[in-house]
Amino acid sequence: MAAMLVATTMAACGQDDGATSAPKASATIPELTKDPLTLSFIWFDWPPAHALEAFANAEYTKVRSNVTIKVNTVPNANWHDAMFTQFAAHKTDFDIPILDSQHIGEAVTNGNILDITDFVKKNIDVKAYNPYLLAAYGQYPQAETGKRDENASLYGLPLLGDTWTMIYRKDLIGDKPPQTWDEMISVAEKCQADNPGVSGLAFHQANGSDAAAVTYNTVNAVYGGNLWDSKTRKIDGVINDAAGQEAMDVLVNKMKPLTAAGSGNWFIDEVNAAVAQGKACIAFNWIAASGGLLDPKQSTLGTTREEILDKLGFATLPSQKTNLVPLGGMGMHVSAYSPAANQAEALNFMKWFEQADIQKKWAAAGGVPSRTDALESPEFLNAGPFNQVYADSVSRMRDMWNVPEYARLVDIENTNVNAALNGAKTPKDALNDIAKEQQGVLDSGSRKGGGGL
Amino acid sequence: MSDPVPLTTDHPGQVASATPPAPGRSRRLSDRGLAVAFISPALLLLLAMSVFPLLWALYLSFTDYSATRGGPAHFVWFENYTAILTSAQVHLRALTTLIYVVGAVALQTVLGFAIAYLISRRTHGRGLLTTLFLVPMMLSQVVVGLFWKFMLDAQFGVINSMLGSLGLGQVEWLTRQRTALISLIVVDTWQWTPFIMLIALAGLTAVPKYLYEAASIDRASEWFRFRTITLPLVWPLLLIAVLFRAIEAFRLFDLVYILTSGGPGVSTETLSFHVYKVAFLGFNTGTASAYGILMVLVVIVLTQLYLRYLNKLKED
Repeated sequence: MAAMLVATTMAACGQDDGATSAPKASATIPELTKDPLTLSFIWFDWPPAHALEAFANAEYTKVRSNVTIKVNTVPNANWHDAMFTQFAAHKTDFDIPILDSQHIGEAVTNGNILDITDFVKKNIDVKAYNPYLLAAYGQYPQAETGKRDENASLYGLPLLGDTWTMIYRKDLIGDKPPQTWDEMISVAEKCQADNPGVSGLAFHQANGSDAAAVTYNTVNAVYGGNLWDSKTRKIDGVINDAAGQEAMDVLVNKMKPLTAAGSGNWFIDEVNAAVAQGKACIAFNWIAASGGLLDPKQSTLGTTREEILDKLGFATLPSQKTNLVPLGGMGMHVSAYSPAANQAEALNFMKWFEQADIQKKWAAAGGVPSRTDALESPEFLNAGPFNQVYADSVSRMRDMWNVPEYARLVDIENTNVNAALNGAKTPKDALNDIAKEQQGVLDSGSRKGGGGL
Repeated sequence: MSDPVPLTTDHPGQVASATPPAPGRSRRLSDRGLAVAFISPALLLLLAMSVFPLLWALYLSFTDYSATRGGPAHFVWFENYTAILTSAQVHLRALTTLIYVVGAVALQTVLGFAIAYLISRRTHGRGLLTTLFLVPMMLSQVVVGLFWKFMLDAQFGVINSMLGSLGLGQVEWLTRQRTALISLIVVDTWQWTPFIMLIALAGLTAVPKYLYEAASIDRASEWFRFRTITLPLVWPLLLIAVLFRAIEAFRLFDLVYILTSGGPGVSTETLSFHVYKVAFLGFNTGTASAYGILMVLVVIVLTQLYLRYLNKLKED
């Protein structure tokens, strides 16, 4: 409450000019300062954040010796709040917010980040990217799945690509990963029955961040469902159609019984822990968070990386009615409230970061690049056993909504899917509640009072 | 023995000349002015940090203002209040909060008073015991939440491990509807029972000994002494402790955030947690302000009723 009041007071007392659209960045990079400068990022606390800080301080300082890179991190659950409360105060202690692709709509309509369309046209080789990757991390309004609208504005550039990988125990289910979702479930079922103490599946179920929501969205996509009709802004009747119901049924009644007891609040770290301790036959996790699985210090599967890789396999997600996979990762954006010198430095950093050779170095340092040439480079493909999975998944990606109402939509989905997974609601009720409540959020634009309930 | 040093003099005029007025004190600054000068920094701080935000929140509660969307705040008058009071979502959180407050405070009161009663009967080691019991209260709620989260983990937690060694099955403490709320109550009780114990101990120590002596002369039983001497004298103090704990429990946020995140689903979402979501997920500042004001009003009204009861108790 106190934090909210500080934010609102500062917003009200500050430069509240009523702006509701993003200010434009200049097409050319303004003159850069020669004085010492700290370029600050904000991200959530996970390995890629630390990798970025180390990489940028090692490489960017070769071209800009007066600049220090600082990647401020917050717990994942506070990530959205940490950025947007500062945006609300119209004063940020970061220059480059690393937004989830779904945060873009909220930031753009509030005027929190710069419109970099002209800057991108002049400084970035857009043809070097898969169009959908470029659109997913920067375009608003949101692109249709698999495409980019070249007339739409861009507000960010890719920093880290990501998607889910299927992690499977080669020593328990064999070298060949399951190819369909149904096959995956039956293989997990058999593995669990054959190996007491090892659960068939491990996946995200928590009600924080976007954990349970991404899990449902993934199954929904694989079973041919849709989250909404973006043109008519219709959710009710779309997400809970027959395909959606089937996906929820598969998730709750077929997949959940194969997970460990008490795994109803698992997210990235818990899934990784289950895999590293040999407690899961098949698991799903974000590629960018999977590096630790190969660390013998964190694993009971082997004393060397090779021993672990003898037991662990990484594959693209099985397909069923479609072969869609979730789009993860994040883009770099420029805070509209940063000092001019820092904004100029931020644009310079982005231009530097998106160069072909730097993207390859970023790949070698543990990052997941978005340029096609970097994705196909040996530096990337040889950096980790899951990188080929990412390269193979790019053409199969589907994102969630990036509308300004995203934070509320995802909370509704998270809490209801989590309720279904933990027996607090029936799958059908949970899905219908998602549809009804999310539709209510989208339709509440003209509502007088009580917004947010 | 020498004569005492004279404290006064027969020559007041000389004394007056020996102690001149304090240098530097402006003749224009009266005593009242001086008092205002001393008080004003604290007063200004209080106004800036407490009164102004409260009034500002009150103003925003009548508007549709959003902190991130910016733009002017439009008056919606009592629409936010009406929406909150008629919302099924809010009713659900209110019920959860009520169950939590009643469960946690009742458990803490019984346990806290029992521990205090037992400690008060000891003559040796009372200080050490009291200090040891107070340790949980001194910890941060976030720290308490985190280590209980590890302890209650269904797969790797020490609680289930202990249950397993006793031949009992695994319990999903934090991911099932009933156990999640019970877990919250237990953790809160672990941390805050010492607070009730401390206040009850102060009350028990203050009970005049002669009352017990008189009762023992009359051969009153232990239970009779407890019922007619101890409890009535400690009761008002205990009720104040209960009041403080109830207010604290009513605005519970930290433990929910760390332990269950409001789950499974929204089954452990308290009112404070819901206000947080309204305020920060959609940045519906106007609604969140009204929600906050309503929570303050509930606390004020309940406190007033409670204090009246306390006064009546005192008069009786």
